[in-house]
Amino acid sequence: MSKADSTLPAERRLSLLVTVLAFALPVIFVLVPLAIFLGYSFFSVDQGTIVYGLSLGNYARFFTDPVFLPVFWNTIVLCVSVAIICILLAYPAAYFLTTLKGRWRYALLMLLLVPLLMSYVIKIYAIRSILGLNGFLNKALVALGILQEPSTLFVFNMNAILLTLTLLLIPFAVLPIFLSLERIPQVLLRASDDLGASGLQTFLRITLPLSLPGVASAASFVFVLAIGDFLTPQMVGGISGFTFGRILYSQFGTAYNWPFGAALSVALAVVVIAAILIGERFGRNRGISV
Amino acid sequence: MGLKKLFLRMATIGLGIGLMTSAALAANLRVLAWDGYADADWVKDFTAATGIGVDVVFIGSDDEIWAKIKGSEGQDFDVFAVNTAQLQRYIKADLVSPIDVTKLANQKEVLPRFRDLTAVSGVTKDGKVYGIPFCFDSIGLIYDTDKVKPAPTSMSVLWDPAYKGKVLAYDNGEHNFSFTALTLGYKDPFNLNEEQMAAVKAKLVELKRNVLSFYTTADEAQQIYQNNDVALIWANYGQQQVKALQKIGAHVAYVNPSEGALAWLDNWVISKGVRDNAAAEKWIDFMLSKKVSGALSERTGFGNTVVESSSAGGNDKLVWLNNVEDPLKRSDMWNEVKATP
Repeated sequence: MSKADSTLPAERRLSLLVTVLAFALPVIFVLVPLAIFLGYSFFSVDQGTIVYGLSLGNYARFFTDPVFLPVFWNTIVLCVSVAIICILLAYPAAYFLTTLKGRWRYALLMLLLVPLLMSYVIKIYAIRSILGLNGFLNKALVALGILQEPSTLFVFNMNAILLTLTLLLIPFAVLPIFLSLERIPQVLLRASDDLGASGLQTFLRITLPLSLPGVASAASFVFVLAIGDFLTPQMVGGISGFTFGRILYSQFGTAYNWPFGAALSVALAVVVIAAILIGERFGRNRGISV
Repeated sequence: MGLKKLFLRMATIGLGIGLMTSAALAANLRVLAWDGYADADWVKDFTAATGIGVDVVFIGSDDEIWAKIKGSEGQDFDVFAVNTAQLQRYIKADLVSPIDVTKLANQKEVLPRFRDLTAVSGVTKDGKVYGIPFCFDSIGLIYDTDKVKPAPTSMSVLWDPAYKGKVLAYDNGEHNFSFTALTLGYKDPFNLNEEQMAAVKAKLVELKRNVLSFYTTADEAQQIYQNNDVALIWANYGQQQVKALQKIGAHVAYVNPSEGALAWLDNWVISKGVRDNAAAEKWIDFMLSKKVSGALSERTGFGNTVVESSSAGGNDKLVWLNNVEDPLKRSDMWNEVKATP
């Protein structure tokens, strides 16, 4: 009796501690920094020091200065394009994976994910040497007779960013699509076959709709990762590939204008959150629950 | 309980080591410098020659020097190295002491351009000398000797349509405004008025259209050079960059433009909290010896103030970097340049 009495409160205390930790950690490490960030966006900078007075000046500047909105818009278009291309390439790959049997399926999936083990910067360096004017891509195209001479089409411009981001982010598209395809019950496909549907009909009316949640989350993954990236545009974007991430980066590095950088980040965060919400909502509507 | 004891013991040991080292340091000259400015063999020679022990702490950025010196109000170090653009800030904050140049025998033997320190912008204030220049490098022009003929003499070659898409420039608003101002013939590239700023910006938009890309690290420039058709590089990393390119077999040469090359210049300064002024002077004088200065250039590739080096010929015009009128504005305008279609 007395033993039970003394251990119970200890157990309860432990579970209370775990509960508090579970709530405290996200609050301290996620919510509080975000709130500080939001706070900073209302400050300003004067002569290299931050002025802690609230103002909407940073947001006014973002909306009125002719530089920021066009770049912001171009960046969104770029990242939507990256997401679409990633999906178009990843879907067939993921579909192919699900047609494989047993061990092969996961071995190949692992192979597709291997690039994720490499450093991001090294990958960009490697891709850059492929894309250069004397790079592998140009040399190959010339050798194959497709091009007369090396083309500048993929050298230090928006195309280069598009290609590089697509290559870097494809694994993030393959995985969710693969998972949603794998979860489709085989019985549905067999039933469709039994009822006389052709392969194409089965795909269009069963596989595709049921895999859309995966596609939606893949698209929002890729979009969010692409829009937050400043390193890739910085390294392969050259003179015409100027993106929002690069402006943001410059506010923290050379300009030392943290408040304005924070305001720009908030603008970016709004788009990112919207993308995630759209992805999730779209995914839920057509989910497996059908 | 056991854990608490362990922590206590660790703290005691840590404190003990701290006390022991600070006691050992008490008599030594305390030097704060960039890697390459106080190599171990020089320190050994200095101690052998003067009997003064030296403790060197290396730093990695201008901000770090400021934090270390300002943090202790100059009490933690006797001598440190800082560039001309930064030095005025230390003088204003009263963190450095004036230097008696007559105590530095070797200063009389330096290269002509460093002999009259009042003529070196940024190292004096109110007639007093605060910094003794010892190491510099220019930000010149690297050109491919096979592709660029005749050899360029001015940065204006970067705007030459003949090299469209073969130019590598550096991604930094401050420097780009300064060097373009020099190219446009403005007297003080670090203090531009509105009108000059606008003219420089327009000129930079033109530059952007002639450029292949803007790089940030020397490594990056080298990789771009290897994979593309590059003829001209605005060499933010000066001699180091030239040497690295030559090492991979590139046919490149280096020139300081006739309108003046931007250049950084590092100085030895004596902190406000110096314990033994004579020892600090001896250190600076020792660093200005032909042997150490020559070795410094040999090892780092930077120029020194005593022996001629490849950073700059005797007649090259060098413009020592200084604080710019408004870094924030330059950075914003640089973004505008980059965002211009």
